[in-house]
Amino acid sequence: MLANFVQATYIVAGILFILALAGLSRFETSKRGNAFGILGMLLAVAATIVAVWGPEAWRGDDWGAQMPSFIGGGGVLPLVLLIVAMLAGALIGLIKAARVEMTGMPQLIAQLHSFVGLAAVLIGFNVFIEVRHELVAGFLVPDAGFHLAEIWIGVFIGAVTFTGSIVAWGKLAEKISSRPLTLPGRNLINLATVIAIIACGVWFQNSYSWIPLILLTLLSLFLGFHLVAAIGGADMPVVISMLNSYSGFAAAFSGFALGMNVLIITGALVGASGAILSYIMCRAMNRSFISVILGGFGATTAVQGDGPAGEIQEIKADELAALLADAKSVMITPGYGMAVAQAQYPVAELTKRLTDAGVEVRFAIHPVAGRLPGHMNVLLAEAHVPYDIVFEMDEVNDEFDQTDVVLVIGANDTVNPTAMEPGTPISGMPVLHVWEAKKVVVFKRSMKPGYAGVENPLFFNENTYMLFGDAKASVDNINNALPAADGRAAIGA
Amino acid sequence: MQIGIPRESLPGENRVAATPTTVPQLMKLGYSVVVETRAGQRASFPDSAFEAAGATIGTTADVWGSDIVLAINEPSVDELDQMRRGSVLITFLRPRQNQALIDALQAHGVTGMSMDMVPRISRAQSMDALSSMANISGYRAVVEASYEFGRTFGGQVTAAGKVPPAKVFVIGTGVAGLAAIGAANSRGAEVYATDVRPETAEQVESMGATFVKVRTAAADQGVSSDGYAKETSDDYNIRAAELYMEQAKKVDIIVTTAAIPGRPSPKLITAEMVAAMKPGSIIVDLAALGGGNCELTRPGEKIVTDNGVTIIGYTDLASRLPGLASQLYGTNLVNLLKLATPLSDGQIVIDFDDEVLRNMTVTRDGEITFPPPPIQVSAAPKPAAAEAEVVAVVEEPKAPKPWWVSFSLVAVLAVAAIALLTIAPASFVRLFGIFALALVVGYYVVWNVTAALHTPLMSVTNAVSGIILVGAISQLGNENPAIMVIATLAVLIASINVFGGFRVTQRMLTMFRKG
Repeated sequence: MLANFVQATYIVAGILFILALAGLSRFETSKRGNAFGILGMLLAVAATIVAVWGPEAWRGDDWGAQMPSFIGGGGVLPLVLLIVAMLAGALIGLIKAARVEMTGMPQLIAQLHSFVGLAAVLIGFNVFIEVRHELVAGFLVPDAGFHLAEIWIGVFIGAVTFTGSIVAWGKLAEKISSRPLTLPGRNLINLATVIAIIACGVWFQNSYSWIPLILLTLLSLFLGFHLVAAIGGADMPVVISMLNSYSGFAAAFSGFALGMNVLIITGALVGASGAILSYIMCRAMNRSFISVILGGFGATTAVQGDGPAGEIQEIKADELAALLADAKSVMITPGYGMAVAQAQYPVAELTKRLTDAGVEVRFAIHPVAGRLPGHMNVLLAEAHVPYDIVFEMDEVNDEFDQTDVVLVIGANDTVNPTAMEPGTPISGMPVLHVWEAKKVVVFKRSMKPGYAGVENPLFFNENTYMLFGDAKASVDNINNALPAADGRAAIGA
Repeated sequence: MQIGIPRESLPGENRVAATPTTVPQLMKLGYSVVVETRAGQRASFPDSAFEAAGATIGTTADVWGSDIVLAINEPSVDELDQMRRGSVLITFLRPRQNQALIDALQAHGVTGMSMDMVPRISRAQSMDALSSMANISGYRAVVEASYEFGRTFGGQVTAAGKVPPAKVFVIGTGVAGLAAIGAANSRGAEVYATDVRPETAEQVESMGATFVKVRTAAADQGVSSDGYAKETSDDYNIRAAELYMEQAKKVDIIVTTAAIPGRPSPKLITAEMVAAMKPGSIIVDLAALGGGNCELTRPGEKIVTDNGVTIIGYTDLASRLPGLASQLYGTNLVNLLKLATPLSDGQIVIDFDDEVLRNMTVTRDGEITFPPPPIQVSAAPKPAAAEAEVVAVVEEPKAPKPWWVSFSLVAVLAVAAIALLTIAPASFVRLFGIFALALVVGYYVVWNVTAALHTPLMSVTNAVSGIILVGAISQLGNENPAIMVIATLAVLIASINVFGGFRVTQRMLTMFRKG
């Protein structure tokens, strides 16, 4: 009975998690989706607690056959540990979640990935301790070799996720340089490491020994570190999605090792989600997943000849304010630079004032803008930009030619017309066709090329104006230079 | 350094090279400014306004004795004599037609910078006085025409009968032409325009006029490399003349703006065409200074032909709006001095590495530096040859693989999966079934997630992968202390994920709101 109850709850929890992800398909249902996720988690945890601490009598005859063997007998000490650990974890988690700036979301996500990875490693160790104990005690463990394979693969993925996420976090938080680390022969190093890990795994399966498992863990930790260290800052959307996927598969393999279906369902969901996000990000950069993972992009960029050197035109904040006040339609294309400069609040303020003045303001978001899939949307939402004026690239790319002014804030490669021509590192990457607008204003700190190291001929176009300086300060200046909204209303009245 | 603003001595000149608005901007660059008495009077800028702006009022000698003199017209002999050796004169010098003036500047040791030599490159647009004056002239041309024209521009239906709109034909759609189109169009006229550069059609149409194309062999409808229209071939000229003749019979007002810098204006409207025009028609010739686009134009004058066509050949159209013209010209000068005063310390630096300054300077340090070396600008589209090359590089699109390639791949994988699962333990096979189904479900569910919610998607998947928590809980009850300790640690970090992940997702989702 109890076994069935637990399994049934796990199945329901799995379905609730599916509903949670399904809810995110639309804004209207997204909050409900999150609530489904919370409910599923609550049920799964409650059922597990009942299974462990429930009275012995509740366990029917089929308990041993249906449930994993290691589910222990409960007891007071484990209960105390559970409560303390969960409360501590909840406290840390809630504080982190409440404090995080939306610009810091990528770092938080990376941290959370690393936790899943670490937990998977720990659980793998635990399962091995138990299995080894049984083997040493002389019990017959069915399919021991196969079982050990589940363990080491789970530990392997978990460890790669763990260090990979920590490096990703370090790069995003600028604790370590976001430039790719390019050791000589780095692909060879990766290959050798993977082969060594597999060798350790085979050894482990046959020896039931700690030594290969520890070796394998260390090698996996190194692999995770080295893989992500070789990837540059702007490829982070792919890396984060990839680690998201790994964290899911790590959970799934823990599920195999433990024999718990809810872990497998959830792990597979998360694994699929991360894989799809990685694919979407790669497609948005027109690069294969393999080339991103192998890393080194952006470091070896040869200088592209002379590039389209030419005249640039500067514009001042007050001139731009006048331009915007006269425009009928304005499109804003933000990039990571907006997040760096924390310019989303002044941008939202500008949007509001222009909208109040009757100017149509819209946002065009490139899929890889920012350091996280959907990063720009969250930043704009944080600053109270209504989501129905924020569009995806494909929705508005045809409408730039009907736009009076385009503001490019902290974006570069994603608006580079060079991508339409062959022969550059970004060729074939879909880009926002900002140059088709009547006027383009580029907010930039300097004339430095973007992440891909490709010169951007957009800056030299006749209808392009440059506004140099910190994006936040520049947008603030525009806001100050705009005619006061009440003054306008008074004239209207 | 001191900047002098003289009263323009040319008869009929109403403009002045600085206004009370531009004086403080000049002073901000570190200069002191002396304005000649009554210099701005005809442009409605009284001396008191200049004084209030911070300038001092001086005599002719004070002004011309300054370190830098900003003017509009070429200096007279007297004026040049009063200039000091080593000083700088910035004005319209028309160096191509005026070798004598250049020699005189050289002899006086005066550095001469000509405002009509500002190159037509993007960076120099803010100093391009020819454009700002042409803009005003274009507007004024229409005002002059409407004054002479015996009817209204806009058409209307009145109780006393229907009034047709005036038909205006603009030749040459540079800055002046476009301004004329805009002015005529906003008065309600029906506007037609043509230009040797067919690429201007778009601009013409954006101003509300109809572009009339000269039908000719497409070859020589070339784009010029210096931003000005070039002289045209014979074939083109014959065809264009046919077009002008055709239009002359139809339209009421012709505005011609085809001036070529430094050369006599091309004669586009012949006496024959004028004769074909309706009585009461008007021709405004903006190229009168270079002799006029119309054969009958008399520069500086208005004449009426025998058949009642009025030909306006005023050369001072910009000067007829002296307040605005002074303001725009003054701003052009301020922008030029900003470029030439890199430190804003009141010291002018004429850097010959700067192509704008190089191009404008006709004499420097007693040397003649005219003509300047040619500069090429890239306003023109790339030649077609380069384009063809690019097209050749584009690789052939890959032929889609036949269906059986992916089919066999899937088939092989399916057989492999079956084989592997057959030898795997039974418990694994059951769990693997769940795993495979969950992957498929996840695949379809996640594709439906809107791109704007990808970040919440990641944080919610973070939270649900905290499900690993239940695995850790199940291990807590184990009697092995090592397992218990490790499991406790796993519970702790998995809880961070669960609580942190759900909370931050909720926080983000409440931020998304509809406008």
